[in-house]
Amino acid sequence: MDFYLGLIQIIGVHTLLGLSAYCVLLTGQVSLAQAGFFAVGAYVAGMLTVLAQWPLIPALAVAALVSGAVACAVGFPALRVKGLMLVVATVAFGEAVRLFFFNFTYQIQAGTLHLGPHGAEGFRQIRYFPENGWSTLDVVLFIWTVVALVMAGLWWLDHSRVGAVLRAVGEDELAAQSVGINITAVKVSAMTVGGFIAGIGGGIFAHYTTHIEHAQFGVVLATFAIAYPILGGLSNVFGTLLAAVFIQGFMIEGLRFMGDWRNLLFGGLIVLAMNVRPRGLLDAGTTRALRRLFAPGKERSGA
Amino acid sequence: MDLLDLIDAVQSVADGVLFGATYALLGIGFTLIFGVMHKINLSYAAASVGAAYASLLVMSVVQAPAVLVFVAAAVAGGVIGGLVYLVGFKFIPLANPLATLMSTVGLLLLIDEIIVHTTAGVPLNYPALFSDVIIEVGPFGLRGDLMFVFALGCACMTLLLLLLYRTRLGLATRAVSQQPTASLLCGISTTRVNVLTFVITGVVGGIAGAMTGAAIGMLSPLLSLPLTVKGLIVTVIGGLGSIPGAIIAGLIVGGLENAFQFFRGVSERDLYIMLLLFAFLVFRPGGIFAKSSGRD
Repeated sequence: MDFYLGLIQIIGVHTLLGLSAYCVLLTGQVSLAQAGFFAVGAYVAGMLTVLAQWPLIPALAVAALVSGAVACAVGFPALRVKGLMLVVATVAFGEAVRLFFFNFTYQIQAGTLHLGPHGAEGFRQIRYFPENGWSTLDVVLFIWTVVALVMAGLWWLDHSRVGAVLRAVGEDELAAQSVGINITAVKVSAMTVGGFIAGIGGGIFAHYTTHIEHAQFGVVLATFAIAYPILGGLSNVFGTLLAAVFIQGFMIEGLRFMGDWRNLLFGGLIVLAMNVRPRGLLDAGTTRALRRLFAPGKERSGA
Repeated sequence: MDLLDLIDAVQSVADGVLFGATYALLGIGFTLIFGVMHKINLSYAAASVGAAYASLLVMSVVQAPAVLVFVAAAVAGGVIGGLVYLVGFKFIPLANPLATLMSTVGLLLLIDEIIVHTTAGVPLNYPALFSDVIIEVGPFGLRGDLMFVFALGCACMTLLLLLLYRTRLGLATRAVSQQPTASLLCGISTTRVNVLTFVITGVVGGIAGAMTGAAIGMLSPLLSLPLTVKGLIVTVIGGLGSIPGAIIAGLIVGGLENAFQFFRGVSERDLYIMLLLFAFLVFRPGGIFAKSSGRD
């Protein structure tokens, strides 16, 4: 049972990571920096609860704000370029963050233990959940409450004027600019919101794994972050959720019985999915079909 | 810093510049594919390492002199390049850049896993040429295997430049990269050019993979991600679509990498390369040879 609860936790955190990339992808920008923001959130939240003895929720809030601020600061130079240049710039940023934490040591003595991040060894003993008596189920409920809140927030954003503006920039920058949209402001805002969400996700990740190290936040995690929204489709937030369940639940855990053939199938399935459904699993057409299937006006999975 | 340190520093930078020929070749590959298709092929470095592995496989079956390992890698690279086009690009609508980006990520993982699966993840030794030759120049020694790698890289670049600027195929390739629609109207088959670009860059990549193997003496699936990142960095520092830029940037990145490693240690080395890239993005987004106002 604990195995499944753990899996549900992983899916929740990865959904948050995917949603952070979703915000940026809506404006047509491919950002591989999300793993970097995730790492910043993880380290900041972990240091606040372990070293400064803060409660979890303020620590997560501060982690999200710090990640958002970093994203905003990175956004200004990085979003002046686009396409391949942006991919490279964000890869470089993500790697720079990872290497920063690889070399970052800040420890305090607490009794017999040394607490805090310690370079290549990583940051051990982030024991907020066990110390405060949270059961695994409590953690699952907490994570999914956060996921639901973030998804609701993004859903609302998508259906407001802001969403229309974001998509307008994503579809055609020139057209968006000529109707008076400040595209730099829009892109940097999307990046900031993405960094904010990734910070929350990273903070939660640090607390349920209790041990974080630089190697977890590499390019692979960054490609996973953009894989969720792209595989799931950008027509609405449920695509990202669906893809996170599909990748983490089916492709990674569900195929475990296949031994090391599973890894072979993993890349192959992604290639196949993009060939068969280039606009994502849950694209606009499927959403419309689903909406027709359920009674109009009462649909739960489409927009 | 005394004289001995200085000599060591210059020596390591020289080694780095020689090794930088690999980065230059990978950078050229990324640049060419981006130039022709306006798409990023993230599986490129993995395909190069895969081609080097394939050449080892060929060598284990056929008894042949070690020089032929490079030929085998080039052929394998060309074949893999064609396959990458077929699987990752052919059937995906071109108007959707995200889909091809994702499919190449899938191919990157797939190629890596095929390598891990067939070799059980164990690094394999790669034959080095002239590894026992050391040319003494004053207090410095130039390693024979690195010199060979560098010379091979230069030969490849020269051939590639001749191909691009002296043949009809090169003319067609440049036409497609400038104006796909106009070149289609002139009777150039863009599909054919695209496929050939993938095959040619695959050949170059295969040679680059073999060069990496020969320079460090072994092959490991762990090589493909760092090589991808370095290749992309070289592409951007050199300027998108600029082949001379990619060559110079490759050598610079190779040299600086070793310089940073010498002064700051291996764990901080890549951090400074990333910062260098950021400096280029902010101050010269068009790359080394672009006018400073040229932005993508």
